[in-house]
Amino acid sequence: MNLVPILEPNWFQAILPEVVLSISGLVLILLDAFAPKLRHYFSHIAVLALIGAAFAALSAPRGAWFGAMYETGLLTLIFDYIFILATLLVVLLSRGYMAIQRLEGGEYYALLMWGTVGMMMMAKGLDLLIVILGLEMLSICLFVLTGYHRRIPISNEASLKYFLMGAFATGFILYGTAFVYGLTGSTNVLQLAQWTTSTAAMPPLMTVAVVLLMGGIGFKLALAPFHGWAPDVYQGAPTPVAAWLSTAPKAATLVALIRIWDALAQGEARPAWAGLVAALAVLSMVVGNLVAIAQRDLKRMLAYSGIAHVGYMMIAVYVISPDSVAAVTIYAVSYALMNIGAFGVIALLQKNQNDAQTLDDIAGLGFRRPFHGIALAIAMLSLAGVPPTAGFIAKFYLFKTAIASGAIWITIVAIVMSITSVYYYLRVVYYLYMKDADEPAVETGRDIFSTAALAISSIGIFLIGILPTGLIRGALEAARHVIAP
Amino acid sequence: MSNLPLLSIVLWLPLAGAVILAVFPRRAEGAVKATGLIVSLLTFAISLAILPRFLQGTPGMQLVELHSWIPDWGINYGLGIDGLSLWLVLLTTFLTPIVLLSSWYSIHRYPKEYVISMLALEFGMIGAFLATDLILFYVFFELMLIPMYLIIGVWGGVNRIYAAIKFFIFTIAGSLLMLVGILYLGFLHFQQTGTMSFAVEDLYGLSIAAKAQVLMFFAFAIAFAIKVPLFPLHTWLPDAHVEAPTGGSIILAGVLLKLGTYGFLRFVLPFFPEAAGEWAWLFGVLAVIGIIYGALVAWVQPDMKKLVAYSSVSHLGFCVLGIFAMTQASVTGSVLQSINHGISTGALFLLVGVIYDRRHTRQLADFGGLARIMPVYAVLFVISALSSVGLPGLNGFVGEFLILAGSFETMPRLTIFAASGVILAAIYLLWLIQKVFYGPVVHEENRGLPDMRWNELLAVLPLIVMMVWIGLFPQPFIRRIEPTVEQLIAVSTRGGSERPTLAARETATTAEPVAEQHTSESGAAR
Repeated sequence: MNLVPILEPNWFQAILPEVVLSISGLVLILLDAFAPKLRHYFSHIAVLALIGAAFAALSAPRGAWFGAMYETGLLTLIFDYIFILATLLVVLLSRGYMAIQRLEGGEYYALLMWGTVGMMMMAKGLDLLIVILGLEMLSICLFVLTGYHRRIPISNEASLKYFLMGAFATGFILYGTAFVYGLTGSTNVLQLAQWTTSTAAMPPLMTVAVVLLMGGIGFKLALAPFHGWAPDVYQGAPTPVAAWLSTAPKAATLVALIRIWDALAQGEARPAWAGLVAALAVLSMVVGNLVAIAQRDLKRMLAYSGIAHVGYMMIAVYVISPDSVAAVTIYAVSYALMNIGAFGVIALLQKNQNDAQTLDDIAGLGFRRPFHGIALAIAMLSLAGVPPTAGFIAKFYLFKTAIASGAIWITIVAIVMSITSVYYYLRVVYYLYMKDADEPAVETGRDIFSTAALAISSIGIFLIGILPTGLIRGALEAARHVIAP
Repeated sequence: MSNLPLLSIVLWLPLAGAVILAVFPRRAEGAVKATGLIVSLLTFAISLAILPRFLQGTPGMQLVELHSWIPDWGINYGLGIDGLSLWLVLLTTFLTPIVLLSSWYSIHRYPKEYVISMLALEFGMIGAFLATDLILFYVFFELMLIPMYLIIGVWGGVNRIYAAIKFFIFTIAGSLLMLVGILYLGFLHFQQTGTMSFAVEDLYGLSIAAKAQVLMFFAFAIAFAIKVPLFPLHTWLPDAHVEAPTGGSIILAGVLLKLGTYGFLRFVLPFFPEAAGEWAWLFGVLAVIGIIYGALVAWVQPDMKKLVAYSSVSHLGFCVLGIFAMTQASVTGSVLQSINHGISTGALFLLVGVIYDRRHTRQLADFGGLARIMPVYAVLFVISALSSVGLPGLNGFVGEFLILAGSFETMPRLTIFAASGVILAAIYLLWLIQKVFYGPVVHEENRGLPDMRWNELLAVLPLIVMMVWIGLFPQPFIRRIEPTVEQLIAVSTRGGSERPTLAARETATTAEPVAEQHTSESGAAR
């Protein structure tokens, strides 16, 4: 293999979205240093950068780059858009929040931009090392963003906790990758796939590698039993950051997981490893949903609900097929819309961020602030999977695929847990509309940016719920290129 | 004119009304109520236009509209109407303006949101009755839970939260299990024909192995049994009814419960004929337990609304018995009785609401001698009660008679027990009438009660007219139901005259067509 890969023509266009976002991150941080008076416009710049990246992603040529270490295709395009959409909504939500919390700064938006680049790298990396590089780039941004509330103790605590455990998890992934390299002589998923098909008996050490990789990835996805950090981090992080880190990074990690899984889990070894995935999925669904019932803090509740949702998504890895990958793609879009919608309303609650934001704070909000009430209610119903919302289509596709693959028992577990989840999602609707507020009621802030974000998420939820055909076709087409049927 | 998508107009009009109302200012209470009423009356008027276009001799779906919705999964936006759904759709559009009218003065908290919820609910109910695609049905089936949940939870009584959550959890638990069944049916269709389809008529012809059929039969049947509600899954109903505002109770009893019986007829029997035949005895027994248990519990209720709620458990037992007896007369009776129950129980809930608005109590002990104070009210109440009891000449009699006469052919012993429910109904309702309307006026505060208001009168009178109309001239109603029922029974018996059995299915899946294979072992059903 060439030590210095020959650069393919058009390589620059292929990574143009990443370039756009990286440079705008630099610009933002420099502006903060040299033109702090422009602070008011940082969110505008970030929005423009994201729109620019979206156009760049659309025009990026498709293919493999840098010696087949980096891939652009329909699937990565869709996921680029998921990351850009999630980041865009978070930027829109951050503006008002950061102004009220007196946290405005260029580095905040810069970190969001760079984190997005990290996610894009994870989704596009054909080489485990690129995935790890992207993961680290993302993680470091997340560690800092989680602790962005410098003056608030729980934010610092969350950041430290996340950093220590995140470093451990990365260690696991690296250790697993080292095993993979030692056994196969490659870290490239395409070569790994070739190696798996040509190898008759899977060496036992590969199981160790897979367990290590799953452990590290499970941590990043907040799968039970690696979920301990999630509630504390969500609670401590600035709310828009919690919205971000609960959605887009999970989507990026899932793409990486699917690539690695598809390359390694073939043949005889697959059933045993699939058992591991099924166990993680079931445990996450059960733990997430049952513990969420006991939560009164909205952000912690959403943390546990997130654990459950990743559990559902793991079913797609369990029955891996083009259809299941398409289902997970749609799930990721829907989940981003509904979770950011939910966190978005919570971010608007005007309350000391060191105190818990509980169900009592949203009591009567539905009639006090009809728009915020309905946005939160729509997000909750979608999370619960009630038609005609995106959450229903996502679950429907996932369960349909699982049943068609014969995984009936795990689907029934998922459905029973969905029924359980209805209870706590519905409790939010109950507080919104059926409970009178304590005096004085917690007010919600209003600004045009957050209104736009909530409108986009609510409309998006219904759009996917009612007219999903285009998205389904695109996702399936994309998945067919990545996963062998 | 004939190209107009009539069913779509009826379906979407209430939702359009709800969306328009959403932008009304909250202070414009009168305008909101008037607009809601006009929209619902318009919907009713347009739905009446279905009648002349409905061909009575045709069993299948009519006025069909079919557009592809999610073609990749074989899901269509398919609407149609037949003998099973015709009167239920009209009942829905008929009851909604009545509900809005009856709550004209009684809803003061958030009237705008109340009207919007009612119209959204109407949208969901009409959609569920019209859908010819299983997924579309499921979407509407779930969709109407949310407005009903809000109606109970926001405008309900003291324990409204408990009742609302119980209602929601019970129903969604049933329907999510049904979703597994729906997905499996679609998957089977894919296996057997190579295409995905959730169109109800496509799924009728599936051949389903015995074991899977029993499981799916129960997945569907439990969902609808919760909705009916069938004993012992009925516990959410009295809570929901007692806590719901009057309008909510009318819609709940009048239409929502009918989705249960409708679901049995439209989906459960024709999809899983062998399993349904095999387990018919269980549902017959549960129905009869429900009839007697509901009646006995109603008898001892001190609360008028709870009494009417338990009478619903009893009356819907008749419908379920008629469905599982599977004869032409009994099934026709069940469909008709669904309508009758909606009319008479709707009227009873409405009238209980009238007295509750005046006295803020529903305890039987708080009344007495009302016939002298509110004569018009008393007359209307007695007519509604007699209709519910099944007095000949009023609508309840026709339905119950058909059910009992039809069921006797296939389930004679159960029918004898069921018939006692008619007597019990007379006892508890006459007991209520005696306590409330006759005797001396015990409570002084009752003396000044005003009689019916204009809006209440306007709301009840159409119901009374319908009771007499169906009671005296049931033929036009029955004629439109019968052809569909005939076809339904043919599908559900796989073309034979006897019930198919699972044993026959076992041989049929190994051998060939089903219709010839069934034995005369229909006795297994009892």
